[in-house]
Amino acid sequence: MLQMTRAMPPIDAAPRHAARTALLAPLLAGVLLAAFPPAALGAPPAGPEVTTPAASAAPPAGEPPAAESSPDTRGLDQEIQGLKKDVVDLNKDLFILEEELLFPANTQVAVFLSVDVGQFFALDSVQLKLDRKEVINYLYTPRELDALLKGGVQRLYLGNLKVGAHELVAFFSGKGPNERAYKRGASLRFEKGVGAKYLELKIDDRQRKLQPEFEIKDWE
Amino acid sequence: MAVMALGCSLAVQAQSRYALIGQSAPDFALHAAVGGNARLSEHRGEVVVLSFWSSRCTPCRTQLAALNRSLATYHSAGLAMFGIGVDDDPAQAREFARSASVSFALLLDPAKGVSRSYQVDNLPMTVLIDRSGTVRNVLRDYSPESEQLYLQQLRALLNE
Repeated sequence: MLQMTRAMPPIDAAPRHAARTALLAPLLAGVLLAAFPPAALGAPPAGPEVTTPAASAAPPAGEPPAAESSPDTRGLDQEIQGLKKDVVDLNKDLFILEEELLFPANTQVAVFLSVDVGQFFALDSVQLKLDRKEVINYLYTPRELDALLKGGVQRLYLGNLKVGAHELVAFFSGKGPNERAYKRGASLRFEKGVGAKYLELKIDDRQRKLQPEFEIKDWE
Repeated sequence: MAVMALGCSLAVQAQSRYALIGQSAPDFALHAAVGGNARLSEHRGEVVVLSFWSSRCTPCRTQLAALNRSLATYHSAGLAMFGIGVDDDPAQAREFARSASVSFALLLDPAKGVSRSYQVDNLPMTVLIDRSGTVRNVLRDYSPESEQLYLQQLRALLNE
């Protein structure tokens, strides 16, 4: 199943992403400096024995410079690729760590959205209210709808809730049968326990009534 | 030449006052006057031109036509373009959008959330965003000189 959770982060994810990038920048600089110290990159060493860059870079007479340096360049490329992979891995670990810190398992609540068939309803936007407070209002683009119709599941909202009884209300806007503006709501009262809570908004086609059906499912 | 140089220097001064230059372009998702919705982050990897307009702004119509010509030329080089209407009345904006007959999406921002995030203080206003999603240039007016400057900046971004 196509997972859209990383591709379409919730609206409030932008500042967190910027913070993560800010955290990564010095780390990356540190890794690069450790791997390629200025001396290794051809910078002149500090101190009295300073040679001119032209003199240090000039190859000895009778030596073909380009052909000799290509294996070194290949090695350097491989090192750079390895470093890039390390940075991507580090970013992934930081993302997981951030999620664990911001949304601990005992208070976490996540709301997913899936669309099945979509013959009688073209989704335009979803508004979510948790305990009468709006938590997200998400507008869908044709590309996102296409991904959902291909079986993608979107993580629409990730937040924290305390243990106890809560109510989730979802309003779906879009175009219904005959291209008419269509707005429907669905609600669910649920009990938040000690563990994480996962809820799914499902949009299905009800063939018998030729109408869409909106359902909120509790993943026990 | 002197007029051109003066125009360029004024444009540079105007840009220097625009706080978003060098910053990540604020993401948005808006309804289009005609057609589907649009989200800026879906166009990462393309050079994006945002043009803020209003149905009561006369130069906006001329500028949208000029932008449409540049889109026809550079679309295949990875250029995406959006017009963002700041009218309070969506019906009026839709009427303008239908009459503008441009090939790019004209989006509606009646709540002005996007206009506020892009610090729109003049109409028409054009924001150029590079392939990495960073705001690079802003043009706060429309004239034949500013169009030349826009085309120069656009070509530079497309060549990066």
